Amino acid sequence: MGYSTGRKPWRSDPPRELTDEAEAAKRKVFYLGLVVLAVFGVLTVQLARLQLISGEKYALRAENNRLRQVSITPPRGLIYDRHGVPLVENRASFSAAIVAADLPPEQETAITVTLQELLGVPAGEIAARVQERRRSNDPFSPVAIKENLSQETAFRLRERLPELPGVRVIVEPRREYINGPLLSHVIGFLGPIDDTEYAALRSRGYQLNDDIGKTGVEYTYESALRGIPGVKVVEADASGREVRTILEQPATPGASIVLSLDLDLQQKVTEFVQAGMGRSRNAAAVVMDVRTGEILALVSLPTYDNNVFARGVDQREIERLLTDPGKPLVNHAIAEMYPPGSTFKQITGIAALQEGIANASTRITSLGSIQVRNQYNPSISYTFKDWAALGTMDFYRGVAMSSDVYFYYLAGGYVDFNSGRDVFQGLGAARLASWARKFGLGAATGIDLPGESEGLVPDPAWKERALGEVWTVGDTYNMGIGQGYVATTPLQMLLVTAAIANGGDVLVPHVVREIRDAAGGVIVPPWRRVKNNLNVDPRNINIMREAMRQAVDTGTATTAKVRSVAVAGKTGTAEFGERRPDGSYLEHGWFTGFAPYDNPEIAVVVFLEQGGGALTAAPVAAKIFDYYFQRKNLAEAR
Amino acid sequence: MRKRDTGNFDLVLFGLALALTAYGLVLIYSGSLTSSGGVRESLSGPVGRQLVFAAIGIGAFLAVSQVDYRFLAQGSLGMYVGLIAALTFVLVFGAQAFGSRRWIDIGGTHVQPSEIGKIVVILTLAKYLSDQGERVKELRVFLTSLAIAALPALLVFAEPDLGSAVIFLLIWLGMVVMAGCDMRHIMGAMGMVIAMLPFALIAVVTDYQRERVSLFLDPSQDPLGSGFNILQAEISIGSGGLLGKGLTQGTQTQLDYLRTQTTDYIFSVLGEELGFVGAMLLFALFILLLWRGLRAAALCRDDFGRSIAVGVVIFILFQAFINIGVNIRLFPVTGIPLPFISQGGSSLVTVFIAIGLLESVLIRHRQMSPYGLT
Repeated sequence: MGYSTGRKPWRSDPPRELTDEAEAAKRKVFYLGLVVLAVFGVLTVQLARLQLISGEKYALRAENNRLRQVSITPPRGLIYDRHGVPLVENRASFSAAIVAADLPPEQETAITVTLQELLGVPAGEIAARVQERRRSNDPFSPVAIKENLSQETAFRLRERLPELPGVRVIVEPRREYINGPLLSHVIGFLGPIDDTEYAALRSRGYQLNDDIGKTGVEYTYESALRGIPGVKVVEADASGREVRTILEQPATPGASIVLSLDLDLQQKVTEFVQAGMGRSRNAAAVVMDVRTGEILALVSLPTYDNNVFARGVDQREIERLLTDPGKPLVNHAIAEMYPPGSTFKQITGIAALQEGIANASTRITSLGSIQVRNQYNPSISYTFKDWAALGTMDFYRGVAMSSDVYFYYLAGGYVDFNSGRDVFQGLGAARLASWARKFGLGAATGIDLPGESEGLVPDPAWKERALGEVWTVGDTYNMGIGQGYVATTPLQMLLVTAAIANGGDVLVPHVVREIRDAAGGVIVPPWRRVKNNLNVDPRNINIMREAMRQAVDTGTATTAKVRSVAVAGKTGTAEFGERRPDGSYLEHGWFTGFAPYDNPEIAVVVFLEQGGGALTAAPVAAKIFDYYFQRKNLAEAR
Repeated sequence: MRKRDTGNFDLVLFGLALALTAYGLVLIYSGSLTSSGGVRESLSGPVGRQLVFAAIGIGAFLAVSQVDYRFLAQGSLGMYVGLIAALTFVLVFGAQAFGSRRWIDIGGTHVQPSEIGKIVVILTLAKYLSDQGERVKELRVFLTSLAIAALPALLVFAEPDLGSAVIFLLIWLGMVVMAGCDMRHIMGAMGMVIAMLPFALIAVVTDYQRERVSLFLDPSQDPLGSGFNILQAEISIGSGGLLGKGLTQGTQTQLDYLRTQTTDYIFSVLGEELGFVGAMLLFALFILLLWRGLRAAALCRDDFGRSIAVGVVIFILFQAFINIGVNIRLFPVTGIPLPFISQGGSSLVTVFIAIGLLESVLIRHRQMSPYGLT
């Protein structure tokens, strides 16, 4: 070995003793050995903490990393009219979205710029949304960039997806309401679930970006229409790609709703009301089968297009709808209450007959008005007018001619103005109010639509409570003819007529006829529910029917007369608002009736804000009856 | 006594190095299964390349073990100058990755001079300190030795590669203690470092490093960015439990939740798939290997050889400590490879050269023995 190793060639080194220094070196090596053990000791302790003590916690976190629970949204149930005509469609709607976790940061600028070109959304805005989502706890769920893409844009974007990692085209079903404004008040619309709804429904599998029925049948029958969401557990890699499906529980499609509404009739009723509205700002008409409570047509005008809400929010259009004086978003058939006017005489009449106050031949004379003394100060007197001096009438004539004086007697009785002698014993406020309630007034009808108003049945206790005033006989008079404090919805008055038509059953009205599953099997068959039976002697019912028949035939409601069927009905012209300088009031027009007279099938209510009973409401009803029975006769003739 | 004494070749040491390398190959295989695309791709790609590096490393190991370490001392100054030049070159022209410049691109392979630089510093310090004899207690010697380690440490720190800079300084510290420098100087230097640490953090440490430190303290502040790795490594290892999920069965590893899983975070693959037991096996192999290194230091009769052995032991020990410590959240993220295990040629060849030096010291220790006995 001839290494030339410089200054100290090792071979010539003198052998050294094992000096103290060498001993010290050995000791240091030993200490270094201790350092080695200490280092691995520290590592072992920390490793044991992670793996042995917290191992289960981390195992769970690893599972949470890996497994994603994906909800499968079932197709929403469809809605048909009573003859099976489809009224809604689920159409595909395309939106562009980005999964923040999948977007490669180094390509982000290029991708957002491409999206700006394709979609017209500023690249900066896209980047901001992605950034926000990256910071959140949920970078794997897509953040929407633009919704409602045209089919063309969606396809163009889809073609370029391979060069746009992280970008997705999301296809979602969108509700399309085929008839739009015609059925908006019945069908309603869907909207994004809000925070309160989400909090209440989360346990039932709703997700933050779900749509939910906001009003109408979409709201009432939400649970049936929605179906049962499925669940898929997938294994996903770090970039969110689904590697494999571990478990899948398919979704159950939503049930189909068959409305009791008749699309054709709905169309016609809408046209008739529209044509008869005149200067009315709003109007309502409802047609019901008096045997079952099924609503055949329900019209509230003006209306709105529910597709406006389904397509995503157009703020300007919604603003317009909210400020329109006709209140198009309000369902005037069920949500607003009005004085019912003379249509209330159906209740006063039945009550008087059944309570023995009157019978068919009870004669009362109207000289055009009656006078009542103030109960505390006899020197003050009040005059209650009839619409004309109608002379002496029996019960039939009193109803047919809609004599106010006749019904003042029935409701409040009559004390002779001069002698102070009891001439006629009336029902009194308490009995009248109780009958009004029996007919379903002052309470929700229970129709399967949201937003119903309860109306108001006043009585002495109510007046004392609400106004702090004492109930007078004048209040009873007013109530007896459907004025004063009584307030009802058009639907409530329809149910009053229907109860007379069907022999005394106050029915629970409904717009849905049956519910079927996605395969067409019936889940809920047609139903009939009675809210209350009036327990009225059939003879009395028949007297009222006959009286209403005469009203149409020869009385105040002759404008409701048609050739195709025998109609029975009652008009109402209800004063409302402030007394005008000339002593008159603004008036609402009412008509409520049923047909055929001898075998009642349908009942119709027509309400025209600022209209007249005989003048405008009854003619609209006549068209409805005529159309319905002509069509029926035609069908039977075939 | 005059024979070439290859009987002193430590087969156990070599065997442990091979075992660790094999362990690493298995882990690289599992760690690269998904990222490379499959079994074939993994074997022909990362695993194959690592095998080639292992062969080169073994070749270098055999060569170095045959060369007398004292011969190497002759070239240490030259190597040191070369190292400084290379590190400067890296800083200026180096290939960049993950926000730092650490590599020189030579024929398509990234060469990391800071790795082999650790050997150069060990040799240079060993040579310098052993030449000083009694003067080793002098402050001048102490400071010169510090300068020898500090210059490359500063250069790698600027890359920035805090981990390697720390390794350089730890190697220096271990070697000056072993060389018998004045403990007061050593204590003084350490005191100053501790006193200056807060200032250094504010003034010298780059934003990149400060971010890493703050992420270490709270990785959830950026769960998808740099904090992602820290969290996912912790989850991977923790979820491995006692026995692990089985090789190639780790969901964190195979579904790419773990990143750089064949290099800086290969220990997390081990932790997830082979569990606590697998980690204990790795620790046992390391402890045995380091024990054989210490044995070499103890057997060695000359200061120079002992210094080299100590330097090598400290190098491998702390390289492993920092790498594993980062994986199990004892330290902030620093990109230090796990010796023998991490995928990467520079590191693997360097550790083989390092244990080649140990063998060289062992083979020749007897020739230094006054009585031919140890």
